[in-house]
Amino acid sequence: MTGLLLVLTLPVTGATKTVDSLAAAQAKGLQIFTEADQRQSGYGDMEVALTMILRTAKGTETERKLNIRQMEMPDDGDRVLIEFESPADIRGTALLSHAHKTADDDQWLFLPALQRTKKVALKNRNGAFLGSEFTFEDLAVPELEKYDYLYLRDDVLDDMPVFVVQRIARSKYSGYSREVFWIDQEHFRPQQVEYFDAEDRQTKLLRFSDYQLHADRFWKAGHMSMSNLETGKSTDLIWHDYRFGIGFQSDRDFSIIALRRSR
Amino acid sequence: MLLRALSISLALLCSVVAHADQLVFGSFKSAVNAQNWAQKLSAQFDQSIVVVPLKIEDENRYRVQSEPLTETAFLALRRRADSAGVSYWRLYKDASESLTDKRTNSAIRSTPPLGAPRLQPPSPVETPARPEPSTQQRNQPAQQSTVNSSTLRGPESPAGSSADMQWDLGLQTRSFFSEGTFGQDQFEASASVEFQYYRGWQDDRRSITVSPFLRVDSADPERTHADLREFFVSSVGDNWDLHVGAKRVFWGVTEFHHLVDIVNQTDLVENLDTEDKLGQPMVHLSLIRAWGVLDLMLLTGFRERTFPGSDGRLRVPFKILDDAEYESGAEQLRTDVALRWSHYLGPFEVGVHHFSGTSRDPSFIPLVAPNNEVVLQPFYPVIDQTGVDAQLFVGDWAFKLEGLSRSGQGDRYAAANVGFERTFVRVFDSGADFGLIGEYLYDERGDDAFNTLFENDVAIGGRLSLNDFADTKALLGVIADVNNNDYLLTLEASRRLSNSWLFSIEGRFFTGGNKLPPDAPAQDVLDPGNKTAWLQDDDYLQVEFKKFF
Repeated sequence: MTGLLLVLTLPVTGATKTVDSLAAAQAKGLQIFTEADQRQSGYGDMEVALTMILRTAKGTETERKLNIRQMEMPDDGDRVLIEFESPADIRGTALLSHAHKTADDDQWLFLPALQRTKKVALKNRNGAFLGSEFTFEDLAVPELEKYDYLYLRDDVLDDMPVFVVQRIARSKYSGYSREVFWIDQEHFRPQQVEYFDAEDRQTKLLRFSDYQLHADRFWKAGHMSMSNLETGKSTDLIWHDYRFGIGFQSDRDFSIIALRRSR
Repeated sequence: MLLRALSISLALLCSVVAHADQLVFGSFKSAVNAQNWAQKLSAQFDQSIVVVPLKIEDENRYRVQSEPLTETAFLALRRRADSAGVSYWRLYKDASESLTDKRTNSAIRSTPPLGAPRLQPPSPVETPARPEPSTQQRNQPAQQSTVNSSTLRGPESPAGSSADMQWDLGLQTRSFFSEGTFGQDQFEASASVEFQYYRGWQDDRRSITVSPFLRVDSADPERTHADLREFFVSSVGDNWDLHVGAKRVFWGVTEFHHLVDIVNQTDLVENLDTEDKLGQPMVHLSLIRAWGVLDLMLLTGFRERTFPGSDGRLRVPFKILDDAEYESGAEQLRTDVALRWSHYLGPFEVGVHHFSGTSRDPSFIPLVAPNNEVVLQPFYPVIDQTGVDAQLFVGDWAFKLEGLSRSGQGDRYAAANVGFERTFVRVFDSGADFGLIGEYLYDERGDDAFNTLFENDVAIGGRLSLNDFADTKALLGVIADVNNNDYLLTLEASRRLSNSWLFSIEGRFFTGGNKLPPDAPAQDVLDPGNKTAWLQDDDYLQVEFKKFF
């Protein structure tokens, strides 16, 4: 009975002081994400190889290999070109994304068998990426301006002091009602993300590990593991061979004609 | 080898950028050996060669290298090293962390020029030309790195070049549900191979792609055929691509009928769906500008359509002569022109094209052979076609349009495909996606449209992608003629069996069309209203296993 009372009274006491503290928590949430974003900005361009390991609940594994090129744009969102290398039957398939600061992102898929370029509908971004537990949305480069933030609390994760911040996508096409980020206080690196569905059930958990410093400035997780809490399936991302300062050019390397060159 | 030589000389011509790269002549465990080697080279090359201590995998090494060089000095020093038969590799000013893949290809350097004195490194154990292990160990940040200054890759750098080859072997059977109208076999087995070789250099800004294809078929000698699907060289500029050679270009947005896709000739013996294409020789320039992409193509030479032979299935009831007629006096040597502008604006994308040249769809001239047999001779007229393809996304709906107007092949006519695709992601409480497709296919010539089966047809289809590990997917569709009861039911499905095996099935079922007896009079068979008569006995199920190497 006391338990129930406590639950009932909490929102009431909370509500009386929300107006100030809500604005403050939102500002702090934004501040933390801005800091994290700035620490990842200024890389210019990069290329990285990615191995995806898809695992069933029973532990059966299968593997996908991808190559990812990425570039910062001065007045726009990032450009990303993902080329599929294995399995062999999807080799040469490629996905090009143009992120925008406020406008909806553009995304195209290139299918080499027909030499066909297909635009990907924005609404379909919460579809599974290559049969993995990641969606197209999870792998997009997020623009700060497209989310609302709320700082929840300080916490400790694996002996690491972290900020726990909630992020809600402004796009009505997001597959999540909210995402809760655990970001370490020392380097502002995401350590863990909890994903919630429309019924506010946590559906997925993403853990980051094996952080390494690249080019003296950028912390990149070498290992990311997404678990589906409903199905027991999981997907590991293993990032290797980061290279920075390649000298990409947006029209040459991240345009539709560049996409058509995939093989 | 020739390619490699070509790539190097091309690259040399283009490297006019100032560098501050260094040449490395080897690394030694012994500081004394390194010092000796450096002194020897300094004297020989009349250039300051220094020793730099390094720590590699917790071991001390001494690297013998030049000081940072301008491009001219770099080339001069390299020439001297080449003529002295001294091996070396190049150190990039801002990429010292990934040295392993940027060494000079020792194979090229292994033979010193005739008569040149060959210097031996002081210690045979410590081969100077061997690259050091990568200094970028896991957990060990790169020692020096200048982000945003581009990595200037040297002309002779194999890092700037890449090559790969892959090929696949397809084993296919086609089972027809009844014997052919002309007694053709019910079963057909075939094997196909397709190679793809690619070699790029100068960071893939120049490349060559070669992709030959071959099929051997048990039933139809015409289906046993080979084609160079691709054989082209590419040059990539800052905002343009130039491709020269045989390649494939696809235009269009709809699923059931590719109306505006005109650049390549259809390889009809491969499949009735016209999605298999013959390599088209061309000079193709793509420009990307703020106002969109402009594709300009000179199509140098014409490919004739392939047709199933007398023993093949899915064929017209007449023999088709190999010897085609052309409107153009240049026949197959005519150079055609195609251009297309395309652009996108948020959820809307559009392409407008014009094609002027020999029609890819032949008209047919019925001829009576001396034995009174009616045969068809393909006739390829010169046409002008202007068309549009567009797509608009609204939520999970995609609205599609393809339209064209063509003159030169009979009276000027217009044709259009309009349709939608609505995609539902994560259906059935799973990761599966389902797409519902509806299209209307129209040709103003009606049944007289000899070069298409779709002149007033409605197509409804469903596309299911399970998004499972095996990437199982299926497309099921029905195309129904609005005027009569002519239906075409089509099924395509595939599933990965392992990382290198793909299994696919395909079925096509024809129903409702006028069926004609084998001895029907020619005028009945040639009546455009009976266009699908020749397909009514050709329902089939195709099974294919494809192995990738």
